[in-house]
Amino acid sequence: MTSRSEVTAPPVVGRQGNYAGAVTRLVAFAADVGASWGIFTLSVAAVTFAIQLVTGRTVDLTHGRVTSLLTLFALVVWEFVYFAYQWSLSGKTVGMALLGIRVVEVEGGAITGRQAVVRTVTLPFSFLFFGLGFLGILLNRDRRAWHDRFARTVVVYSWDARAARLRWLAKQEPATPS
Amino acid sequence: MRSCGDEIDDAAGPGLSPLPGSGRMEQLVEAIAERVVGLVVEAIDINAVVSKVDMDALLANVDVDAIVSKVDVDALIDRVDVEKIVERVDVDRIVGRVDVEQIIERVDVQGIIDRVDVEKVIQQVDIDSLVEQTELGTIIARSTSGVASEALDLVRAQGVGLDDFVARWVNRILRRNPDDLPVGPPGLVAALEAVDRPTLPAGRTP
Repeated sequence: MTSRSEVTAPPVVGRQGNYAGAVTRLVAFAADVGASWGIFTLSVAAVTFAIQLVTGRTVDLTHGRVTSLLTLFALVVWEFVYFAYQWSLSGKTVGMALLGIRVVEVEGGAITGRQAVVRTVTLPFSFLFFGLGFLGILLNRDRRAWHDRFARTVVVYSWDARAARLRWLAKQEPATPS
Repeated sequence: MRSCGDEIDDAAGPGLSPLPGSGRMEQLVEAIAERVVGLVVEAIDINAVVSKVDMDALLANVDVDAIVSKVDVDALIDRVDVEKIVERVDVDRIVGRVDVEQIIERVDVQGIIDRVDVEKVIQQVDIDSLVEQTELGTIIARSTSGVASEALDLVRAQGVGLDDFVARWVNRILRRNPDDLPVGPPGLVAALEAVDRPTLPAGRTP
C-alpha cells in the first residue's frame, strides 16, 4: 500500500492574486470565443426559425449583402456586450471563471465599467500585426497585453488552489499506521 | 487496730494530712461537696445560664490570632490522612448538586472568544496533516468535491503548470531572475499577505 508521504502532491498551491500566465489566458479566451459564438449561432438559428414560422419562407441570415452586414453588426455588438458586461459585472467572463482567472485594475482592485468598456473596445488592437499585442503576456513583467495597458488592467489567478489541494488530499487513501 | 481514717491518711500521704483525723474530715467534706454540686447542677438550667452569657463579649476578649499562631498547621496537616478523606467524598453526589447550566450562563463566552487570537491558532494548525489524519478529509471530499469540480481543478492546475513551464523558458531566454519579478498587483498581493495566504513568485513551482 502506498503511504501518504510517497504520494506526489499536486503542483499548484495558493496562486490567488498572482499574474495569470499565457496558456491559462489563451484557453480562457478560446472558451469565451466558443461560448459567445455558440450562443450567437443559436440565437441566429432561433431568429431564422421564427422568421420562417411567421413568413413561411426560408431565410438565410448569412446570405445577401444587407443581411450579412446586419448579422455581422449584430455579432460585433453581441461580442462587445458579452465581454464588456461580464468584465464590468465581476471582472471575469465565463471562460475566465472556468479557468480561475479574473481582470483587476493594476493595483489589484475591482475594475470599473469604463475600464471594462475600454478593454473590450481595444481588445481587437491586440490582434493586429499577427497578434503582436498579446506578446506582452509572455514577455512583460506584469504579463499585460495591449488592451490591458489601454484599460490599465491586469489578469490574475482567482481560484483557490489551496482548497483544491485539500480536496485532492481528502481523496487519497487514509494513512496506514506503522 | 487502725481506723478507717488512718487508712485514708496513709493513702493520702504523710505530707497532706498533718493533723490526726484530718483525712477522714476531708473525705467527708469532699463527699458533701460532690453531693451539693450534684444537686446544684441538677437544679441549674444550663440553657438558661448559657443564654445569659454574652458570647460576643466573650469572643471579643479572645485573641484568636494568638491562638492560631500557636497552632502548628504543618504538623496538623501531616496528621491528616487526605487519601482517606478523599475516599470518603462522594464526588458524583457533589457534581450532581452543581448547577452546570447556571455556571455556563455566568461564563462570558464572547469575552473568552474576543481574547483568543484566532489568527495565531490557525497558523499553528497543520491543515494538510489534519486532513490526512482525520475524517475531515472525507467530509470535505463528500461536501465539496464533485466530478465537475475535480475536472475544473485538474484543468486549472494543468493550466497553471503550463503557464509556469512557458514562463520558465521565457525567463531563461530573456535571462531574467524569476525572484526579481513581481508576483501580482501590489495592492492585491499585500492584502493576501496580510491574511497570510501563501503566494509564489510567477514562473516558480512550489
